[in-house]
Amino acid sequence: MRRVVNSRFMLTGNEHHRLCGLAAFAKFIPIGKLRGGPGARCLFTLSVLHYGGYWLYFLQARYGHRLGRVRHLLTKVRRWKT
Amino acid sequence: MAMQTFLNLSKLVREGRKLAESSDVVSFDLFDTLLVRRTHDPDLVKLPVARYIAQLATTRGIAIVWEEVQQKRDRIEAAMRAETGKTFVDHEACYPVFMQQLLSEIFGDPTGVELFAEVADFELRMESAMLVARKELVDWVGELKEQGKKLFVISDMYLPATMLKTLVDKAGMTDLFDDVISSADSFQAKASGLAYPLVAERYGLVPERWLHVGDNPISDGLQADRAGLTALIISDPRESQRKSLAKRYYNYSLGRPFWRGRALQQLMMPLEAENQPQPDLYMEGYNFIGPLICAFLQELLEKCRQQKIGKIFFLSREGWMFSKCWEQLLPWLDPQKTAPPSEYLYVSRMALAGASCARQGLSRTNADIAFLPPGNRDFKDVCRIFSLNWEVFSEHLARHQLTADTCLSHIHDGYEPKNRERFNDLLRDLAFQAEVMAQTADSGLALERYLESVGFFSCDKVALVDIGWLGTIQRFLVDAIAHRQDAPTCQGYLFAATRGIPYPESEKNRLEGVVYDRNRFDLAASTIFYARDIFEEACRAPHPTLNGYRLHGEDFKLELRQTEDSLGQAEIEQDKYFEPLQRGIIDAARRYGPAAAMMGREVEDLRPWLNYLLVSKLAFPRTREISAIRHQHHLDDFHGSKKPKKEFHKQEVPLWDKPRWHLRFSPILRPRLFFKHLRDRINE
Repeated sequence: MRRVVNSRFMLTGNEHHRLCGLAAFAKFIPIGKLRGGPGARCLFTLSVLHYGGYWLYFLQARYGHRLGRVRHLLTKVRRWKT
Repeated sequence: MAMQTFLNLSKLVREGRKLAESSDVVSFDLFDTLLVRRTHDPDLVKLPVARYIAQLATTRGIAIVWEEVQQKRDRIEAAMRAETGKTFVDHEACYPVFMQQLLSEIFGDPTGVELFAEVADFELRMESAMLVARKELVDWVGELKEQGKKLFVISDMYLPATMLKTLVDKAGMTDLFDDVISSADSFQAKASGLAYPLVAERYGLVPERWLHVGDNPISDGLQADRAGLTALIISDPRESQRKSLAKRYYNYSLGRPFWRGRALQQLMMPLEAENQPQPDLYMEGYNFIGPLICAFLQELLEKCRQQKIGKIFFLSREGWMFSKCWEQLLPWLDPQKTAPPSEYLYVSRMALAGASCARQGLSRTNADIAFLPPGNRDFKDVCRIFSLNWEVFSEHLARHQLTADTCLSHIHDGYEPKNRERFNDLLRDLAFQAEVMAQTADSGLALERYLESVGFFSCDKVALVDIGWLGTIQRFLVDAIAHRQDAPTCQGYLFAATRGIPYPESEKNRLEGVVYDRNRFDLAASTIFYARDIFEEACRAPHPTLNGYRLHGEDFKLELRQTEDSLGQAEIEQDKYFEPLQRGIIDAARRYGPAAAMMGREVEDLRPWLNYLLVSKLAFPRTREISAIRHQHHLDDFHGSKKPKKEFHKQEVPLWDKPRWHLRFSPILRPRLFFKHLRDRINE
């Protein structure tokens, strides 16, 4: 007995690592029309969120208020970049 | 007392229980506290409503696209908020006011106001489908109710309290609360803190003995604290993770077509109490077969609209599952109720095969179909399939130097090509055909009466929906009614058309595979060849197959197969085994509808994800999945029980029939068989 959605918000039986595996296979062997496929960057971001998302958001909820200066700095860097 | 923030709902409820002992009143925020949304953005619910209004406008001859409806709504709502801001501290809006204004602007005055109830009902249904009650909080609210506490829901929302009450009721919290308070009614919100004194005055509450639970540190925390309440704030990292994922899937789906289906499945996810432990088969039904069937039915709806179909017939027995899912999907995919009516039609290859001979006799193509299954060998098998009494044909057979046991199939021992030539001569024999028609006449007439009773002949064009694969049922059905002047145009839609033999298409008889059609090259969808039987078994109705149609006085009678024999019992056992799978599929359809309405995507948009699902699950399945989904018993009366010669068995055993040890310990098995499949499809 398992749940349809696991604790990492993945579809049971169709977990994220399975998708990553088939996406890697599809880089070498055609598996059909995937219209561009998932994309490495999307897969990376989703991997981080699925596997480490809870702890990232836990840290943000617990210590997020202390990150004000870091956020301010990041905003400045972004503005400077653009 | 200062507000307290909790990162865990269980801890909040524990603390709440303690604090509630010294409180008379407990109030709850509604959205993201008592109820969580399946979507990351509450505004996404507005999009299907805009599409609904645009469709309403189109049916009334008003040309407007949904994006324009949405822009108008945003403009009117923003104007109302600005206007409210002139009189009140909070910039609140009230749904009935701005929605009626929007509808009047689009439809003109009397019609706009009349349509409001219809639009509001759809918006509430949409909102409700996207909301899930948080089980721990609901359980706690139940306890508080039993303790006699005064319970309130306080929400900053554009929906008035009457509409919020409907949402609370639909979430399963009927009669738990003393009242529901919305900022849309008073324009005094929690955000400014004015809602708290207003509620205290209206219901005579003492702030010091009032506990408030919410998710917003300002509205539910700081402002409640300022008003003298005790506030508990939930800041749940798990919820943040879920919403962040939903947001990414949705945003990626805007740019990358691959993620559209995945985003839809993310919206379909069961949450909170919905996500209970289930058997493995349920999982496969919910996460794999369910979305495929729903996408098939969504496409079917679109095609029926385009083809102006008069009535849809779901053919038994696989059509049973299609009709069940159709019922779940239709309120969401067709809120305007423009879809043609549908009916479950009792048919089977065995029942129709005989009836198809009533007027035209036994055609050569139909006889060839009888020899497609490897278990069929001789004339007795032909007679079994076409409901004929073989003993009566001995004279006809003797005329062509055949017996009922002469081997007519090339894959069986004893086959001689000249016997097949003689058999073809027999089919051209008018006396033989007259006997065939005499034996099947009653069956053909009974079929016509049955079809008349379900209104088959009252439409110009009907859709015949089946799982697959060759379109044999439609072929026999069309043959059986071809002589009638009022025979409708039959448009067949198959889940997958593998087309083992060419289908005789004409103006009045067409066939199309929706998820897969061999007539168009689609490598990923062609993986259906790996395990067709599992789709049949997954969709099969829990009633026995139809053996034939029988005349019963002026009426007709459907003859269902008896289940007392070993095959019938095996089928019952198989149905029981697949019950969780079927439950998963129907539950998936229940959530696919709202999710598809929210996404507003066509099936073509979802196809890359569906292709991935098919390849991943059928060509690269896990051993555990094959063991679970692989059928235990597969009954097919069409297939005979005779054994073909040994050479026939020398072909490689398909992946889904391999023994468990081979599946588990052969790392290159799946890629090797996929290469073979790839080669076969390219060489086709």
